[in-house]
Amino acid sequence: MLTPTPSAATAAAPISLRQKSSAALREAGIGVALVCLTAVFAMLSPIFLTSSNLTNIFTQISINVILAVGMTFVILIGGIDLSVGSVMAFSAVVAGTVLKLDGLDTGPAIGLALAASIGIGALCGLANGAVSAYWGIPSFIVTLGMLNIARGAALQWTQARSLYEFPDAFNDFGSATLLGAPAIFLVALALVALGWFVLNRTVFGRLIYAIGNNEEAVRLAGHSVRGHKIAAFVICGAMVGVGAVIYMTRLTIASPISGIGFELNAIAAVIIGGTSLSGGRGSIVGTLLGACIIGVLANGLILIGMSDFLRQMVTGFVIILAVVLDVYRARLARAVA
Amino acid sequence: MTATFAMNSPDPGAAALELHGLTRRYPGVLALDGVDLTLRPAEVHALAGENGAGKSSLIKILCGADRADGGQMTLFGEAYAPGSPLDAIRAGIRVVHQELHMLDGLSVAENLQFEKLPRSRLGLLDRKAMDLRARELLALVGLDDLAPSTRVAGLGMAQRQLIEIAKALSSRSRIVIMDEPTATLTPRETDRLLQIIRRLRDGGVTVVFVSHHLQELFDVCDRVTVLRNGRKVATQPMAGTSTDDLVRLMVGRDLAERAPRRSAAPTAQRAPALRVQGLRYRGQRGHAALDFSLHYGEIVGLAGLVGSGRTETVRAIFGADAVIAGQVFRDERPVRIGGPKDALAEGICLVTENRKDEGLILDMPIRANLSLASLRAVSRSGVMQADAEADAARRMVSKLQIRLASIHQPVRELSGGNQQKVVLGKWLLRAPKVLLLDEPTRGVDVGAKAEIHALLERMAADGLAVLVVSSDLRELMSLCDRMLVMSRGVLAGEIARAQFDEEAILAMAYQEYTRSAGASCARAA
Repeated sequence: MLTPTPSAATAAAPISLRQKSSAALREAGIGVALVCLTAVFAMLSPIFLTSSNLTNIFTQISINVILAVGMTFVILIGGIDLSVGSVMAFSAVVAGTVLKLDGLDTGPAIGLALAASIGIGALCGLANGAVSAYWGIPSFIVTLGMLNIARGAALQWTQARSLYEFPDAFNDFGSATLLGAPAIFLVALALVALGWFVLNRTVFGRLIYAIGNNEEAVRLAGHSVRGHKIAAFVICGAMVGVGAVIYMTRLTIASPISGIGFELNAIAAVIIGGTSLSGGRGSIVGTLLGACIIGVLANGLILIGMSDFLRQMVTGFVIILAVVLDVYRARLARAVA
Repeated sequence: MTATFAMNSPDPGAAALELHGLTRRYPGVLALDGVDLTLRPAEVHALAGENGAGKSSLIKILCGADRADGGQMTLFGEAYAPGSPLDAIRAGIRVVHQELHMLDGLSVAENLQFEKLPRSRLGLLDRKAMDLRARELLALVGLDDLAPSTRVAGLGMAQRQLIEIAKALSSRSRIVIMDEPTATLTPRETDRLLQIIRRLRDGGVTVVFVSHHLQELFDVCDRVTVLRNGRKVATQPMAGTSTDDLVRLMVGRDLAERAPRRSAAPTAQRAPALRVQGLRYRGQRGHAALDFSLHYGEIVGLAGLVGSGRTETVRAIFGADAVIAGQVFRDERPVRIGGPKDALAEGICLVTENRKDEGLILDMPIRANLSLASLRAVSRSGVMQADAEADAARRMVSKLQIRLASIHQPVRELSGGNQQKVVLGKWLLRAPKVLLLDEPTRGVDVGAKAEIHALLERMAADGLAVLVVSSDLRELMSLCDRMLVMSRGVLAGEIARAQFDEEAILAMAYQEYTRSAGASCARAA
């Protein structure tokens, strides 16, 4: 009775090999889509593959990549953060105020501004996470509230005025390059790498995935579900804080009306990247690829002369297409298993 | 037509519903094994049997929620094979479920008729007709004073139950099946329900009645069919049957030979690992409280019917649910358990009843499931050590003989028995001192079941204190050193292994249920 049945073990083998690599497969699929898209635009437009245009694309997607990394954490636990764009504006105007404080040297001022921006973002995330975790309110509602609160706070803080005339060292970073790559894209890549490490190599990341799949099992295993949920929102908020400063270096101003709709772009990148809105499934690499697809699409469609309005429609179709494809992929996997 | 259920009575000799050789096979279990059953028109027919005897499977097939693998059904002379619950309702068979499915936000009238809301000529909702019909239906179940516009959300269980029955009557039901309808009712409400059942019968409806409360079966039923292990044991008139007869039929005389187990040292010689004093879980009946202890090296069974409070008890000890009162002692030291984390810190682990919803993360790899409760042991300063995790997982795989292709495989792909071993492995990795198990072998094939039993015995021999909840009495009798029997939230008794006797244990399990309504009413007062 205690001898293993060999048939069971061998029968399970092919299924497991396929399943084991299902996440990698999903990423590969998105990667292929990105390559195809690039190839199509390269054929349609001679400018598309030039280094200056590629640099352009990377610069354009940097902010979205940073925001989407944070958003991935929130969506993995089964939440959503709609306040990202507003919080970014609030972080930016506070950072802008710090930058313009009298009597601070440039270096410390920039450091302090960055810290203030991240702090504001993390605080807003803490509020989002704590309210939704403690009272069990869907994060959709809580962050919708925060969307208004943070926007109002940003406008109140500056009396609806924009801040500018920041130190040159600060403004230059937005257009700086390192080894030919835009510095802000390198920052985004570094954050992607950090996010990947946390999600794939740490206990914290393991629990983020586990909570997204089955909260109750995680609770009964003695872990704090609330704590981890709140932490996911704090991470998202901190990323917004970084994104706000990077965005300021690009525009050289801090505007209380910036960032409108940025949350939707970040969510779109995460979803196109194959992360499930119901949580527990997805990856940071997918998110990066998702943001690239959105960026390539936006840039390529301009190059082939498509109007703003049509471009917006195409982006919408792509988001829906990505989710529909994912449904089919899941169905296929289930049918075979 | 005032009373919808007053069907033209067919000739009284004919059967309302006949089942021939009904069979249902689930993986590893024969839930129904060639059941023959005849329901007469206008009778109240009791369906009795232990947990897992096949009552639920039979009801599911009757109401179209499941299909039989073999056998025929004949409804009033016509072949009956419902493909969906809707087919069954159209044929006039209706189930009042144990768990009620109501739309809380809607009114009583809407709930009663939402399957077929009356429409006016313009296609809009005809409120007047709906209210009128609702009043008719409510009158049938004695709820004359309930306004049809009342929202269901504010109603108690008893009223909901009656509304559900009224709904069953709304579609000209010829056969109404009631699955544990009195489980949540007070004695007075129960009396009222039994009265309504009698009226239904007098109006020509056939009622199938399932209840743990044997007294109710005697109060209201005309005939009884007893199921045991998926087979029909007997169908006989209720008159002339005694409670003892019924219990004997349900248990069966042919007790399976149980394998002799290691001779456990007398309980008194071992130190108590866990002691529970005055424990009250949320929702516990009356002023009942639980006191018992669990010693190192022994396996104690927690027996009782489904819903008798066994699951609530182990969950309360583990801190999975809130406790109202009581004290838990570990090694005779009072401990405060505010949640699973505290229980784990005290070396107490719980294998929950529902492995898919509470035990496993189905889409995550086997290794991640095994390490879920021991993440600190397989990480260093918060960073996972992949090798340490794989080693720990492999250790459990070989210890528990989990059959798998790879530890990186999602646990979903394993069979029920192997999934359960993963749950066990998750806790064993923590080297627990006290292991609580709730239905550890439910849905597990025979081979894996024997392995799990052998494992528990080995670990108990090594000093582990084990408390097992199971609805399979034979499992408990072969596995345990002694047994605690729960009955309706009360610890009804304790039996040592030498005195194990199926009838005695069942009598204890039914103890609080067989009291007549009046007696339990007096007790509660």
